[in-house]
Amino acid sequence: MADWLIGLTIGLPWIGALAVWLAGDRRAEMQHRLAVVFSVAAGAAALLLLPSYGDAPALSIEVGSVFGTLTFVPDGLGVFLAAVATVVGSLAVIFSVDYMRGEASLGRYYALVLLFIGAMVGLALSGSLFLLFVFWEITALCSYALIAFYNDDPKAVAGGLRALIITQFGGLGLLAGALIAYAYFGDTQISTFLARADTLPESMLALMAFGALAAAAAKSAQVPFHTWLPGAMEAPTPVSALIHAATMVNAGVYLLARFYPAFEGVAGWTTAVILVGLLSAFLAALMALVAIDLKRVLAYSTISQLGYMVYAVGVGGVFASQFHLLSHAVFKALLFLAAGAVIHSVGTRDMRQMGGLRRELPFIRTVFVIGALALAGLPLLNGFWSKELVLEDGLHHGPVWAYAGMLLAAGITALYTFRMVWLVFYGERRGAGHVHAPGLAMKLATGILAAGTLTSWLLAGGFGKMLAESLPFHDLHAPAALDLYETIVTAPATYLALAVIALGLAAWWWRDRLAGARDALAPLARAAEADFGFEALNRRIVTATAAAAESLRATQTGLLNWNVLGIVGGLVIVLAVLALGA
Amino acid sequence: MSTLEIMLVSAFALVGAGLYGLLITRNLIKVVIALQIMVKGALVALVAAGQASDQLALGQSLAMTVIVADTVVAVIGLAFAVQVKRVRGTLDLRALAELRG
Amino acid sequence: MGEMTALTWMIALPLLATPAIYLIGRLARDSSRAARWTALIALLLAWIPFAQAAADLHDSGTQIYTLGAIALRLDDFALLLAALSLGLGTLVTLYSGPYMQAEDGQEKYYASLVAVVGVMIGLGCAADLFNLWVWFEAMAVGTFLLVAFYHEQPASLEAGVKYLVQSAVGSVLVLLGIALVLAETGTLDLAAIRAEASSTTLLLAAGALMTIGFGVKVAMVPMHTWLPDAHSQAPSGISAMLSGVVIEAGLVALLRALGALGGVTGSWGELLMLFGALNMVAGNLLALRQQQVKRLLAYSSLAHIGYMLLGVGIAVYAREAAGAQGALFHMLNHGLMKGLAFLAAGALLYTLHIAAGDHGPLTVRDLDGAASRYPLIALGLSVAVLGLGGLPPLAGFMSKWQIFAAGFETRNHWIEALAIFAGLNSVLSLGYYAPLVNAAYRHAPSEAVRRGKPVPALLQVPVIALTVAVVAVGVWPPLLQWLSEPAGRALLAAFGF
Repeated sequence: MADWLIGLTIGLPWIGALAVWLAGDRRAEMQHRLAVVFSVAAGAAALLLLPSYGDAPALSIEVGSVFGTLTFVPDGLGVFLAAVATVVGSLAVIFSVDYMRGEASLGRYYALVLLFIGAMVGLALSGSLFLLFVFWEITALCSYALIAFYNDDPKAVAGGLRALIITQFGGLGLLAGALIAYAYFGDTQISTFLARADTLPESMLALMAFGALAAAAAKSAQVPFHTWLPGAMEAPTPVSALIHAATMVNAGVYLLARFYPAFEGVAGWTTAVILVGLLSAFLAALMALVAIDLKRVLAYSTISQLGYMVYAVGVGGVFASQFHLLSHAVFKALLFLAAGAVIHSVGTRDMRQMGGLRRELPFIRTVFVIGALALAGLPLLNGFWSKELVLEDGLHHGPVWAYAGMLLAAGITALYTFRMVWLVFYGERRGAGHVHAPGLAMKLATGILAAGTLTSWLLAGGFGKMLAESLPFHDLHAPAALDLYETIVTAPATYLALAVIALGLAAWWWRDRLAGARDALAPLARAAEADFGFEALNRRIVTATAAAAESLRATQTGLLNWNVLGIVGGLVIVLAVLALGA
Repeated sequence: MSTLEIMLVSAFALVGAGLYGLLITRNLIKVVIALQIMVKGALVALVAAGQASDQLALGQSLAMTVIVADTVVAVIGLAFAVQVKRVRGTLDLRALAELRG
Repeated sequence: MGEMTALTWMIALPLLATPAIYLIGRLARDSSRAARWTALIALLLAWIPFAQAAADLHDSGTQIYTLGAIALRLDDFALLLAALSLGLGTLVTLYSGPYMQAEDGQEKYYASLVAVVGVMIGLGCAADLFNLWVWFEAMAVGTFLLVAFYHEQPASLEAGVKYLVQSAVGSVLVLLGIALVLAETGTLDLAAIRAEASSTTLLLAAGALMTIGFGVKVAMVPMHTWLPDAHSQAPSGISAMLSGVVIEAGLVALLRALGALGGVTGSWGELLMLFGALNMVAGNLLALRQQQVKRLLAYSSLAHIGYMLLGVGIAVYAREAAGAQGALFHMLNHGLMKGLAFLAAGALLYTLHIAAGDHGPLTVRDLDGAASRYPLIALGLSVAVLGLGGLPPLAGFMSKWQIFAAGFETRNHWIEALAIFAGLNSVLSLGYYAPLVNAAYRHAPSEAVRRGKPVPALLQVPVIALTVAVVAVGVWPPLLQWLSEPAGRALLAAFGF
């Protein structure tokens, strides 16, 4: 049963991708319909897969040679992420029906989105490191191609390339890990590795651990690899919601969570993870505070929230990290899709051109505010429960300095969230032009996600049980749902966090009175606008590489005499090596 | 010095001379000539090797084969030179350096 | 003289067809068509003895055929080269029909092409050092003519001259190496040399000379300077052959020669790995800022030869077949991917420039908007370059993985670092591959695309076939590994390990 469902969850979107492509761009209606049907069917298959979780491979394919056996394991972490990918995926596809109507190259768009959904499911369910890496790269490929979907826009092309190269660069860490597993265990099964990780030489295990951290940071857009995510906002908004908020960027956190039992003992690893999470959460929150592009605010906010999840893994809160991942996937997808509806309606992403949209877009305003409140962490929304759980774990199992930083970041989160809501929906309209009403498909997709934002925290109990029962190497205990809620509600830390969040809110409310403080912080704001120097670092690397390439090109003189000298040079190299070796 | 050594040294000297020619000449015809000098060095080496291993006939037949093969290369090289002269109007290598970078 | 066997037919068929193609092309009324069909039929017929030889090899081991002093020896390593050159040769012949239709002297073109295919099969089977050189030289001569086929074009002529001179220098160095080996061991038979060879200075020098001599043809950095010119100026089908098979045939020759000297020093592995690293980094950096598509692809061949050298170097160093299997798998995959890339780029070059009577290069800018008018060609080019960049699930990643895995299996930290470095190079290579894809999928077409004519259907057939192959091998590597796995073992056996 499970093997069939796994096959369907991966296969349906892929068959759909082929079908949409074959349908051809002349039959746009049919492409919309095919995409919706296949993505919803995949979502249904993934939901059906949820109850049949377990820790044994449900599907194995023997390839032989260096590729070993490819296995799919429907354990708690996997089926959960697969369900998120397909459900949010199908909602993004439904949203696209309105959003992408009339666009050219629809076939390419849907084919890539569906290819991505299938690959993301594959990534989540992979039981072997090799297979995991393959799907990891396929998602990166889709991400790149969709960011650069509007190839005529140089910014989109640059954003896509940067995303591809940075995630690939980080991905080398995962590749090295997979290769080490292969070299020492003869196969790359994750279960084999987790069971025998302690038999690896210390240096190799450390290389794997930090390699995985690099891969995760690149994929989840964590400091110092985060620079690609804001650039990725050139993608069509449903893609930002799906790939760059709800699913692919979570793969890094997923990776850390999955291998946590093997790596937690590596000297310095958990500290490094905490540091990466803290820096990302804090710096990105500051950047979100000064950004004026609506999608960029959301992108920085995604980096910041992913920082919470990474931090949670660092302090050992695997469940908390995954719980926050679920909440974030739902409310951030909602925020992105709602933002997409806004952008689609007013035709700009610049928040300075918005304002006062509550009157023209009441429905979108409502769902957006629900998402925003969840992001800020206000009670009873899903973001509240999971963020409190993360902070709770951080207080009890992590260093105090990190906890203090995360707490402060929560306050800044509230501040930038309210700033964003205010700039978009309240005050007076600053831009001109007609506001289009959002379509039915847009309302449907955002409505479902809003309902999810209000209720997904109720799944905590079942989710915890699923994780505890199907992850034999993680030392997880399943908290009963009510105990969990009770712990959060009664913990003093919760009220401390709420107080900080309230401070953040108050800071926005009294922003005019705090003008003096704002001026004092102006240098910080400028640093945040400049991306704290990471942009400059990126540029410097690119320029240096290009300069090296240019100077090497000068050696290709085209003159035959120099070419012959190359042969003589080669002879010298060979004789030198042989003389040294012999 | 044994015969083999003397012959090998002269073979390498010929090849070196040809190589030197290739490094300094700017004229395509001279390039072909330099190549020919190099090949002659190889021929000497082959015959010497045949003699040193008591298989003079083998060495000579190798040399014969090389001469045949090399003639083909030389002919094509000269044909290229003729064509270059026709198309470019010069045999200067510096005029044949447009493909660069 | 022995009976004609499948082995000899496989080599003889293309070689016998060569004069036939030329004569038929000269005498027939519709000369181009006659030459093309004769060539195609000859290559298709050669698949029959190929299949028989493969079966014989599988059933009764290495096939040996002797004609007087000349011996041909078919092992799995030779079979791989035969498969690659026949496969790509057939597709390129098919492709050349429309591509070359307006050219004069097609009988020479097809005769040379088929001859080169036959010669490369023979090269793989050479059992003695001098024989190896003869095949190698014959291959060079055949390709000189093909590179400079557009002999009225100054650029082609320039490329042909450089290619000829540098090849000739390499060939002389190989001859010197052969002479040293003969003087020292008294034999030229590869197996006998391996038995005789001891660690002497003369043999070491012979190895160095042959490394460089064959290395020129393999385009090992810094002997690579002819390659970007020749591979970009040749007719596109020939570019595909040159990049996909001919430099690989050079590598086969190099490995056969070094194999015979396998016991002379333990440094061959390190040497090959060193050149692998040089090739990867130089090839990628040289390609990074390149604006001419075919020249870019030519530089990328340098990088891919680097991966093969790395894999073989690991195998020779560690005396384990895994690295060689990866390298040879990569050789096949590279043949498919680079063949596809050149054929797809060539299809665009043909429709956008050549068909309009213009011999200018295809630039990256010309690709703008190609997908809207030539969707299958653009898809083929995209699949090819993304596969070359090592993105799964395309063929290139699978063989790179095999090479890297072999590197990590040595558990030598230097080699592990080298494997990571190779991975880093793949990332760097995406910096020039991916923009090609972006350009092709723009909406605003370039001036060239706007004016371009439709692509002839026959030009698309090999492109589609190779696209499917690159994806299929990526999804299911055993499709080609049945060739590369035993070939890797045969290669190691040729080194005496």
